[in-house]
Amino acid sequence: MGAYILRRLLYAIFVLWGALTVVFVVVRVVPGDPAQLIAGSQATAQDVQALRVRLGLDQPLPVQYIRYLGQVARLDLGESLRLNQSAIGAVGERVGATAILALTAIVIGMLLSFPLGIVAALRRGSAVDSMVSVLSLLGQSVPNFWLGLMFILIFARQLRWLPSAGIGGINHLVLPACTLALPLVGILTRLIRTGMLDVLNEEYIRTAQAKGLAHRTVLVRHALRNMLIPVVTVIGLQTGQLLGGAVIVETVFGWPGVGRLLVTAISNRDYPIIQAGVLCITASFILINLLVDISYSYLDPRIRYA
Amino acid sequence: MSDQHDRTVRRRTFVIGAGGAALAAILAACGGETAPTATPAASSNATKPAATTGAAASAPAAVAATAPPTAAPAAPQAAPTTAPTTAAAAPTVAAAKVPTGTLKVALPNRVVSLDPTGPAALEGLVYGRQIFDTLVVRDASGQFKPSLATKWDNPDPNTWVFTLRSDVKFHDGTALTSADVKGTLDRVARLKGPVAPLWASLDTIETPDATTVRMKFKTPLGTALANASLLPIVPAASMDKDGYFNKPAGSGPFKVVSYKADAGLTLEANAQYWGGAPAIQTLQFVDIPEVVARMTALDTGEIDMTWGIPPDQLPTVKKNSNLKIDSIPTYTYYFIWMNAKRAPFTDKRVRQAMAYAVDVDAMVKDLIGSIGKRGTAPIASTVFGYTAQTPYTYDVAKAKQLLKDAGYAGQELNLIWTQSGGPQIREISQALISYWAAAGIKVKSGESERAQWLDDLLKLNWDLDLQTNVTSSGDADYTLRRLYTTAANRTGYGNPDLDKILNDAAESVDQKKRADLYAQANKIIWDDAVGMFPFELLENYAYNKKVSGFVPTPDSVPIFTSVTVGK
Repeated sequence: MGAYILRRLLYAIFVLWGALTVVFVVVRVVPGDPAQLIAGSQATAQDVQALRVRLGLDQPLPVQYIRYLGQVARLDLGESLRLNQSAIGAVGERVGATAILALTAIVIGMLLSFPLGIVAALRRGSAVDSMVSVLSLLGQSVPNFWLGLMFILIFARQLRWLPSAGIGGINHLVLPACTLALPLVGILTRLIRTGMLDVLNEEYIRTAQAKGLAHRTVLVRHALRNMLIPVVTVIGLQTGQLLGGAVIVETVFGWPGVGRLLVTAISNRDYPIIQAGVLCITASFILINLLVDISYSYLDPRIRYA
Repeated sequence: MSDQHDRTVRRRTFVIGAGGAALAAILAACGGETAPTATPAASSNATKPAATTGAAASAPAAVAATAPPTAAPAAPQAAPTTAPTTAAAAPTVAAAKVPTGTLKVALPNRVVSLDPTGPAALEGLVYGRQIFDTLVVRDASGQFKPSLATKWDNPDPNTWVFTLRSDVKFHDGTALTSADVKGTLDRVARLKGPVAPLWASLDTIETPDATTVRMKFKTPLGTALANASLLPIVPAASMDKDGYFNKPAGSGPFKVVSYKADAGLTLEANAQYWGGAPAIQTLQFVDIPEVVARMTALDTGEIDMTWGIPPDQLPTVKKNSNLKIDSIPTYTYYFIWMNAKRAPFTDKRVRQAMAYAVDVDAMVKDLIGSIGKRGTAPIASTVFGYTAQTPYTYDVAKAKQLLKDAGYAGQELNLIWTQSGGPQIREISQALISYWAAAGIKVKSGESERAQWLDDLLKLNWDLDLQTNVTSSGDADYTLRRLYTTAANRTGYGNPDLDKILNDAAESVDQKKRADLYAQANKIIWDDAVGMFPFELLENYAYNKKVSGFVPTPDSVPIFTSVTVGK
């Protein structure tokens, strides 16, 4: 297992390097000049050129790239072009907020989808099943900026139960986390329902029932555990997506996370921030995937890594 | 359990009814697939309204320094050491009391960086104004008043001498001296940020003593005071220290308590402020980018004040009896440029036809409403150098005639704009295009992302450009010379007479003469239809009625020293 993890981490370095290279090139290929954006539209061409020189953007792309790789090797991701802050600092400051939001959403998602999915599977074809199906379909289909706005209008403006935006206590977390969790509930519920149905038709469930095990034991020990692998995979993928994809929800709720930082950085062509942000999200993706893979061997002892 | 359970369940389903069963069957079928990607129907709606989300919030970035009601000696000769008790300004009264209460403000643009002269200088004027001081300030009537400088003088047209107050201390206790003014200007030149062009002609700065700053310019600078009102002075000794601007010590009425990027900025009253302590103890800027969330926060009392409100949200504010709106004219205006280097706009008659073809009054009534009024010059009516021009009245027949005379062949024209270009920009672009179509002019809407748009704009890669602009310094030079000289090459238009007028105006220190020159410049730009200037914008400050003493200013950079917050 140790050797396996070590090998995966080595691969990770290549993946990170690849992601970094792609982003480095892409942000420089798309139109838009950071020096121009900083200097503003009133600056003369000479001013803009002088700024470009100061920022090192006048160098040929390969020179900039090599220089940047050198920096990264020393764990220095550069200075933001606008924020008076190092790129690592800017991302580090916000990664916590995004992680809290994403994790809360995952927890809410799991707390809701497991009971719903299991009940729907056990009562397959019933009114409850239909209702769960409709709800999970809705959860997956409703665009989350719309949902966020509706939540604000209902729970903040009409009912005045919760604050509309910003970061603070737990009450600030409720609306954005629920907004983010809902599509996840949709996906997971359907996955769990299908998984349960598949497993319940297996021979070993009949055996377990035949040998007189309690209904509950059959369900938890034999059925649930065996359908967890696809569920864990999807949760893993979704967590990665939530980390990077909380952009809209972060904007709607004024949540100071990495997503918003990235969006602003992109519109200002703040290269070091974009690069650091993407690097951070890629790293979390890799880490989560690794955790998911490791969890497989615990869920299914037949799976071994060497 | 499965089979038997299934059968009973199925029986029940039939009872529910055919419709329900059919739906259940379809959904069950969908649910049967493991791929979690399918998002039927509703997903296609996802993209459309998304556009409105961030957009509305992006009312024109506020800008320019000034006009705060700081009590300053009316006569420049007044002894700089005595507290300014003479002037009839509010804060002196408040200064006698201990600051109390908290004011929570959500700005229409976010708190990006606390560096008032750095890359994001113009976006940060509002909070910069609370933390730092400028040499001079401009009052609501456009007059320059002393601030850090008690007096100023032009010994010769190329030289400006400022005499500083000697009793000003930064929040960290160090004294503010002429060295800080020099340090600030040196830094501006070094950073090449957005305020640098204002000081491009600065040659040398001398500081013969702690309270005297002597600036020598390569050419006479008529706008020195306007520019100085946009220059917050930072402490030279600490401005280059790492992390200084995360919690900068300025000399202004409020001190920084904490700053969290993208979340907010908390300031507290500077009890030792040389202009008198502010009335409120705490001033909080909260970052709420989404307009619906921002308006909800105002509605529920989570915040006390905001501005940059889109017209569709104003009725809701008006309905709430706890809220109040102050509406005042600004330095911001909408314009449409027509690329005079490209056919058909090489012909002045086509440019004029574009203006005659649009019913500006109807657009003001239907689209702009409470956020603007009809524009009457190439700059807003609040700006120094403004003179009213003869409006292009809506006349489609005249437009068609002009087009015919000019021989417009009906080619399609490209109108570039970007979402953050101004309030209601999408609706405005659509209305314009349909007015032009009615006059027989085919215009295609070319929306693009901001960086791309700026790139195209500066490369003159467009037929028409729609955007707002702020005359940040409140002086016509900031807009007219920068945009309309042949050398600036921003519109494709070039006119040696206009160049001469604008350069003379910039290099004259006689303000009366400058005003006359700008009157001529306005007329040329307007009559030659270098652009259309349909609207000038109002700013609506919405705030809770427990807030009093707020004084909005045309520069959209309010100062909060005189504000009090009740229970």
